[in-house]
Amino acid sequence: MDTQGKYISAYGWLGVLLLIGAGLFLTNLLTGSVQIPMKDILGLLSGQSNRSDEYGIILFELRIPRALTAILAGMALSVSGLQMQTMFRNPLAGPYVLGISAGSSLGVALLVLGTSGIAATITASAFGNWALAIAAWAGGGIVLFLILLVSIRVRDIMTILILGILFGSATTAVVSILQYFSSEAMLKSFIIWTLGSLTGVTSLQLKVLLPAVALGLFLAIISSKQLNVLLLGENYAKSLGLNVQKTRFIVFTGTSILSGTITAFCGPIGFIGIAVPHIARLLTGATDHRILIPACMLLGSSFMLLSDIISQLPGLEATLPINSVTALLGIPVVIWIVVRNQKLSNLL
Amino acid sequence: MNSNPANKNILEIRGLLAGYTGRHSFTFRHKLDLSIREGELVALVGKNGVGKSTLLRTLAGLHPPLGGDIYLSGKRNIEYSSLELSTMVGFVSTEPVLVNNMKVFDLIALGRYPYTNWFGRNRPADLETIRDSMEMVGISHLRDKNIFQISDGERQRAMIARTLAQDTRLIIMDEPTAFLDLPNKYEIVHLLKTLSREYQKAVVFSTHELGIAIDEADKIWLQTEEGIQQGSPEDLILQKQFSNMFDRKASSYISDKGELKIKRKFSGKIALEGTGKEFQMTRKALERIGYEVHQASGEKNQVTIMNDECGCKWIVNSEETGKVCNSIYELLDSIRYPLQK
Repeated sequence: MDTQGKYISAYGWLGVLLLIGAGLFLTNLLTGSVQIPMKDILGLLSGQSNRSDEYGIILFELRIPRALTAILAGMALSVSGLQMQTMFRNPLAGPYVLGISAGSSLGVALLVLGTSGIAATITASAFGNWALAIAAWAGGGIVLFLILLVSIRVRDIMTILILGILFGSATTAVVSILQYFSSEAMLKSFIIWTLGSLTGVTSLQLKVLLPAVALGLFLAIISSKQLNVLLLGENYAKSLGLNVQKTRFIVFTGTSILSGTITAFCGPIGFIGIAVPHIARLLTGATDHRILIPACMLLGSSFMLLSDIISQLPGLEATLPINSVTALLGIPVVIWIVVRNQKLSNLL
Repeated sequence: MNSNPANKNILEIRGLLAGYTGRHSFTFRHKLDLSIREGELVALVGKNGVGKSTLLRTLAGLHPPLGGDIYLSGKRNIEYSSLELSTMVGFVSTEPVLVNNMKVFDLIALGRYPYTNWFGRNRPADLETIRDSMEMVGISHLRDKNIFQISDGERQRAMIARTLAQDTRLIIMDEPTAFLDLPNKYEIVHLLKTLSREYQKAVVFSTHELGIAIDEADKIWLQTEEGIQQGSPEDLILQKQFSNMFDRKASSYISDKGELKIKRKFSGKIALEGTGKEFQMTRKALERIGYEVHQASGEKNQVTIMNDECGCKWIVNSEETGKVCNSIYELLDSIRYPLQK
């Protein structure tokens, strides 16, 4: 079929990205303060070595959950960024434009900064990261609910974009007030959360993270056709029979599940969601979301694995905050895209 | 021919009130009753701001009417689902498509949206429709081009092909001739006419090109603040409807031949003798510089066209002397600046 031929290069890229991702996954497993030789890792992965020795524990309890978290975070943030860029027809939109992560921050801030010292210690010890995750989820969920209410009543997508940014700013302001009135120790634990981290996710939490991200990605994939037609703008989409409200509902919910979950478990990780969709478009030359979604998944996870490797480069005593690394890797990409295209109006 | 032509109405508008409610309210003062038949090309003309786009968006189902009914193939449009509606009405607005990597083929393929499965897979029959659509508007050779690499006229054709791929009986276009150069304006309207003739599409388009609309449309909807006058261009000319469109200061008018002309103020008279194309062109040139042209000969102020084997010559007999010119440009020069010669 001749139309299939059109995508050969795009499918080719998907293959290349898959190989790069696999390579980065293995490299990521090799990275860390303890040197584990490649043959031991391969032995452990294939089940030939004993999983309960020192190497086994490091690999299965620390490195694999961390690498899987990186993969899931990269996929989730990139795909939700792609969806938001298409939905708002805005090249600078990202997973956070709806104010979801600001809502999550508020949830975490209320938990960490708002509760009294004793209560915080109790919640932190009893629930650990779960409490943070639930607070972040609840905060993001409330903002999502507001956005969905608005999106049913408001026709113009630009109005929704502006309202999302305003919700975000309002929640950030509340977080600032909370920060102002908190103690130094509380402030530090909140700031550490905002720096982002892939290490906090345990294999038990992965069992929540994985299905949540899978559900979000599933909603994105079944929206591919609708997202394709939304590229033409909502008027054309509507005249082609698209139910705009229903599509908004599905896409906003999917995006919130993806970005909200990652924010809940890893903190607000920036720039992946804006930068990766643009790289995916440039590499594949496609506008079709049936190509762009898998491309974003593969590129996003590679980007995140690479960021994680850089954050714990050998020779460094401590691990760098993942948020700084993704920003330092992502910003040059965004600058390059903006300068290269000049005309921002047709970046998508 | 069908004995009852009303049965072939693709679109019927009964007592329609279109417009916006709220602070920026805008409505027609009169209810609209209009219709379009299969194979008919309808041009919607009217001044800026009179509500042409609002009417077209309302007909396309993108904007709810404030009152009245829109019938599509005999059934009220609100009784169709949005998906059914999208197989009956195709719409092209003035809104540009700004997608960087999009290929012409991808754009047209989106027209199959109402027909494909949940994943948007194009079956062989869909691909054939897309190919045919490109063929019908003559852009098959551009299928792999980026939509930013093609000309404005080609992009407008691609947008039309998208509605053809959508396979609707009614096509609504908001100002398809805007931003195009003059030959392309004619070609696009001609293409719309071909589609209405050969494929029995009903086509409505709004335009500011009154001349093209009068030349090509089967029916004109002349929109004013009062409502819409409907009729063949010639009927509307006989009823002097178009004069409503031009205020007193306007510089154009409809001639007796039904052509859109620019009003001229003549500052002098001149006699012209000659035949054929040269006569027509010389007359046009003289009128352009403000002379009313007579055919009578023997006057003092006269231009005579001599056409022989050596080519064409223009002889000016002014009050003083005669002068021979080799081109119309030279002729106009010698009339406008007689003292310098």
